[in-house]
Amino acid sequence: MVMRDVRLAYAPARGAHADYVKVLGVIGLVTLCGWFSPLSYLALGYIYLLAVIALSTRVSRWPALWGAVLSSVAWNFFFVPPRLSFSVLRFDESLLLATYFVVALIGSQLTALRFAADRAKLLAESERMHQTLLDSVAHELKTPIAVFRTAVEQLGTGDPAKRAQLMEEVRIAVQRLDTVVANLLSQTRLESGVLKPRLDWCDGRDLVAAARRAVGRRLDNHPLTVDIPADFPIILADAALMEQAIAHLLLNAAVHTPPEVPVRVSAGSSAESNSVFISVSDNGPGIPMDLRGRLFEKFSRGPNARVGGLGLGLSIVRGFMNAQGGDVLVESPPGGGARFILSLPLKAPEGVPHG
Amino acid sequence: MSTEGEPTVLLVDDEAQIRRMLRFTLEEAGYGVREAESGRIALGEIALTVPDLVILDLGLPDTSGTEVLRALRKLSSIPVLILSVRGGEQDKIEALETGADDYLTKPFGGGELVARVRALLRRVHTAEAAEKVFTFGPIQVDLDRSRVLREGRPVKLTSLEFKLLRMLVLHRDKVLTHQHILGELWGPKATSKTNYLRIYMMQLRRKLGEEVDSAGHFQTESGVGYRFVSDPMMGC
Repeated sequence: MVMRDVRLAYAPARGAHADYVKVLGVIGLVTLCGWFSPLSYLALGYIYLLAVIALSTRVSRWPALWGAVLSSVAWNFFFVPPRLSFSVLRFDESLLLATYFVVALIGSQLTALRFAADRAKLLAESERMHQTLLDSVAHELKTPIAVFRTAVEQLGTGDPAKRAQLMEEVRIAVQRLDTVVANLLSQTRLESGVLKPRLDWCDGRDLVAAARRAVGRRLDNHPLTVDIPADFPIILADAALMEQAIAHLLLNAAVHTPPEVPVRVSAGSSAESNSVFISVSDNGPGIPMDLRGRLFEKFSRGPNARVGGLGLGLSIVRGFMNAQGGDVLVESPPGGGARFILSLPLKAPEGVPHG
Repeated sequence: MSTEGEPTVLLVDDEAQIRRMLRFTLEEAGYGVREAESGRIALGEIALTVPDLVILDLGLPDTSGTEVLRALRKLSSIPVLILSVRGGEQDKIEALETGADDYLTKPFGGGELVARVRALLRRVHTAEAAEKVFTFGPIQVDLDRSRVLREGRPVKLTSLEFKLLRMLVLHRDKVLTHQHILGELWGPKATSKTNYLRIYMMQLRRKLGEEVDSAGHFQTESGVGYRFVSDPMMGC
């Protein structure tokens, strides 16, 4: 699942065709320039040699040999006197042509070795990345399991107060495991392309209320104000995806701000940008400048992200919004605070029959 | 259907550990529990003695939960609570349209489960009593005289708004799918016109007042439907 983004450079199958075109272009150019230059045919023979050397460092073996063939034919036909006809070559001229092929072979061999080394390095890098991700996923899954195991062992022995404390630890661990598994599933659904948004008319108030309900006690330490104007239109969206997107933002606000920092949900529409938005804002510490660029990338986490987590939340929010034809933006003014804005295209529903 | 003693719940789930945990929770709450590990066994159990309620997992190995539901509905109208996974909105809608009364999304808490079971069983009894006046918060709904009072003063509702409210109240603590409500109110051709429903829900909430809305009586089930909750604090 996590490896999909690691692309290998120098994909050989796709590059081959382009290599032949490149060779044809270079040799053609040399021939054209040679035709209009005052250089002798021998000097031009060496310029073809230089072209073959240059090409063989950039393309693989067969295109390089193809370059050597092209060069020798072009040189013989256009430049070896008499011009514009194939001539029988003298020994030194033949020797020059032979070097084209030798150079093409040696050069392309060296190039292949370099490509292989590059690819090995890239593979090693992606493997390392894979390992890091695997480590953090394993960590996120194992931590709650460790809590369960300890709690089960201690349940029989502790006094009532200790038992209550254990139960609370188990409750937190369950919450954490639930979040990690749900996020991994969401991310996988997004990446595997099985996610098919079902757009239907939704009431923004319903979406916010459902998200609030889903977040439950985790937002208890933060006073929440919801400010949706009476004329906020019904919007065309996938209700389940919107509910989860808003819930992620509420949870983010709760996790990344100190207790008692108020969280505000507001909504509105703009005729100019032809969009509707629902935003979640807080007055917390804000988002550090260096993090903003990759805020919505998967596995990116804040420097002081307090509890665990895989850094999938915002990547899922963006994925869900894009799937619905919308987007997510962030504002974080220098004075602190953060505001995440979910936007969707503004669509007007047809009229409703009265009764 | 057993009329005396503890109500019986039939648990249909293929995971033995889930069955054990649900049995523990339900017995603790005072219900009798029977188990079935597949759809076929479940139907046999129901044919033997009809339980008071069925908890049915949609992801059974032998037959699909919806098929079990369809066969069950030919035998009995007892309440059915569906267990489903997140992202399975279409399955939930299908199950509700086939005759399920409510659903829970896995993973859920035991408190939540017991609250839903209790609400479904209570609904069976109050439906028999068929009360004429229903009260929630400051609102009084007089079903016979098609009248709504808010703190004793009449609220002007259009006939469709009243029909919507009446439907939700009559089916309280049960999920009504968008399609179902639309079909009842606007006819079978309008079952996909969710925008009608949204507009009318908005108007209805506005007329009933802020406190009704914030108390959470009208709960939305994202992508599925609405549920009127008679006691929003229960199970939280």
